[in-house]
Amino acid sequence: MNQSGLRPALVAIGAFGALLASLAVVITLTSDHAEKRGVVAAISLAIMAAYIGTGLFAWSRRPHNRTGALMTAVGFAYFMCVLTASDQEVVFAIGVLLSSVFLVIALHMVLAFPTGRLATAGLRRLMATAYVAAVVMQLAWMLVTPDVCPDCTPRPPDNAFAIWDAPTASDVIMIAASAIAAALLAASATVLVRRWRAATRPGRRALGPVLFTGLALVATLSALLAVQAIDSSGAVVDVLSIPALLAFAALPYAFLAGLLRNRWSRAGAVGELVERLGAARARLTETLADAMGDPTLTLAYWLPQAQRFVDSSGRTMALPVETDPFRAATLVERDGERIGALVHDRSLCEEPELVSAVAAAAALAMANERLEAELRARLEDLSESRAKLVEASLAERQRLERDLHDGAQQRLVALSLQVHVARAKITSDPDAAAAILDRARDELRLALEELRELARGIHPAVLTDRGLGAAIAGLASRFPLPVQILTTPLARLPTAVEAAAYFVVSESLANIAKSAGASHATVRVARQNGMAVVEVHDDGCGGASMEHGSGLRGLADRLAGLDGRLEVVSPPGGGTTVRARIPCESS
Amino acid sequence: MGLAVPGRLPDRVIIISVAHTVLIVDDHPSFRATARMLLELEGYEVVGEAPDGMSAVTEAQRLRPDLVLLDVNLPDIDGFDVASRITTHEGAPAVVLISSREGADFGPLIRRSGARGFIAKADLSGSAIEELLA
Repeated sequence: MNQSGLRPALVAIGAFGALLASLAVVITLTSDHAEKRGVVAAISLAIMAAYIGTGLFAWSRRPHNRTGALMTAVGFAYFMCVLTASDQEVVFAIGVLLSSVFLVIALHMVLAFPTGRLATAGLRRLMATAYVAAVVMQLAWMLVTPDVCPDCTPRPPDNAFAIWDAPTASDVIMIAASAIAAALLAASATVLVRRWRAATRPGRRALGPVLFTGLALVATLSALLAVQAIDSSGAVVDVLSIPALLAFAALPYAFLAGLLRNRWSRAGAVGELVERLGAARARLTETLADAMGDPTLTLAYWLPQAQRFVDSSGRTMALPVETDPFRAATLVERDGERIGALVHDRSLCEEPELVSAVAAAAALAMANERLEAELRARLEDLSESRAKLVEASLAERQRLERDLHDGAQQRLVALSLQVHVARAKITSDPDAAAAILDRARDELRLALEELRELARGIHPAVLTDRGLGAAIAGLASRFPLPVQILTTPLARLPTAVEAAAYFVVSESLANIAKSAGASHATVRVARQNGMAVVEVHDDGCGGASMEHGSGLRGLADRLAGLDGRLEVVSPPGGGTTVRARIPCESS
Repeated sequence: MGLAVPGRLPDRVIIISVAHTVLIVDDHPSFRATARMLLELEGYEVVGEAPDGMSAVTEAQRLRPDLVLLDVNLPDIDGFDVASRITTHEGAPAVVLISSREGADFGPLIRRSGARGFIAKADLSGSAIEELLA
């Protein structure tokens, strides 16, 4: 059920609970066989109100945790016990039949804390036995026991479920039930003690009040069982003595005390969250969603190098914008470093303490998870950039073919034809032949220049021989506008990094010459924190973007192959800065 | 057929006797200029030039040349497509495809286009044209 649907449902359950509690008071006060009616009615009211009230509160704060539902169920089940005060035979019999169910649910709640789910198959078997013993054995006993309370005065109604009177069978069933109850209580006490001993410090802080109260409950029930075994004459209604009932009534408040330890109940889940995060990192999203009560919660991991968010499978994801009416994001930081973000229902923005507490608790686990997400993102990027590299390489070969075809090849064709014409004219018109040969020589010179340019475009020899500084100086000297080289690294960078940096400068300058309307450009190449940072800036008209320039896109693909990235800052009228960051740790 | 002697220099008498009007279609102005010079030297009358496929089709209809010298690689539609459009009707001009690539690069496309043949640009000459048209 979603958040908005849960609240009205819980309100309805609460109203029904209030109705039953009132009915419990009426049944008790009007009973003609119950003793200490006023006290018992007050205690019944207190127990039902405590369990149903705190249960619904816990349920509303943490809808995915069953503890709240179990607490509420204890409150309702207690009403069955109250029915033993009824003067109607059938109602009285139903009350007797189900009178111990609330104790079993309470035990279930204690053993299932903190998640509300029984963690092991052994615990599930234990509780199944308890439920069967509480209902089936009670029914069996009632079938053979017409008078369920022979010593009670005033007399309670007759047992409407009794079909024959078999005192021996009745005693055997009662002894067997007591033995099973004793075994269950002993097993429960062992589980609680073991859990306490195995818990870490934050775990003990969260579990403490509940485990102690649970142990107290088990001890009280065991004591009562022992007393019953010695003296079985106690009235059914008084199966729990008043002090025991008071202890039982305190149990939900112990739960509440644990939950309210951090002022705000769902923030109280954070202590538990820390514990659970350690145990179940694989279910991080689920655990955080549970703690925040938002099943739609998703996690975004921040990749600082790539400057983007990815999901747990490494795919790039965008955070919801401020104006999104349904979703919101809360950044998760650790020691001032951004780890990621919780993307949650916008309604949670009304509970900033909860969201900040969960974000703080999640930071460590998310930092670990981020490594995995980063790895997945890199794999994703790798296969993507590999495909792009293949495409880019194909496009590059096509460009080379086109350049050769349109450039040097055309000039050589023309040259061939000119020589042909000159030869035809050499006797009849030597002057014209000489003029044609002069043009042919010019054509040859241009063809050579174009071939050189092309070779430089494939890989400039000066870059290999003299490094990035000399290659960029060469580019600048051939550029039609003034280019100021602010800085270039003195030491050589890895070959692939130098080539990529060179092409960033070369492509950016080519773009400036083509369309920027600039009067000059600056180039800066520096090594910073293991990265080669290349910046080409112009004072042109701006408005450039990677979407519009295939050259820039090709550059970005080339850089992606080296785990680098390209950034274009080009506000209209504000010049353009092309900035590349290329990792060069291996140099 | 007696004209098709490989390597033979242009023979003035023969060239005059087979004079053609020519439309040159190529997107490189330098090539068009050189080809015009060569063809005029060899006795052809160059009646027009076109830089792309669509204008080639228009000019071919308007000028009605005997021969269209047609580059394969054009900026809009390619030479094969232009050749198909030009040669569909009766009395259409002869089309000779040219390229700086080898004819073998294009496989059966040349034959299917309706062109009379192919000449590599570097081998362009009056005799090569005559050989194809003979």
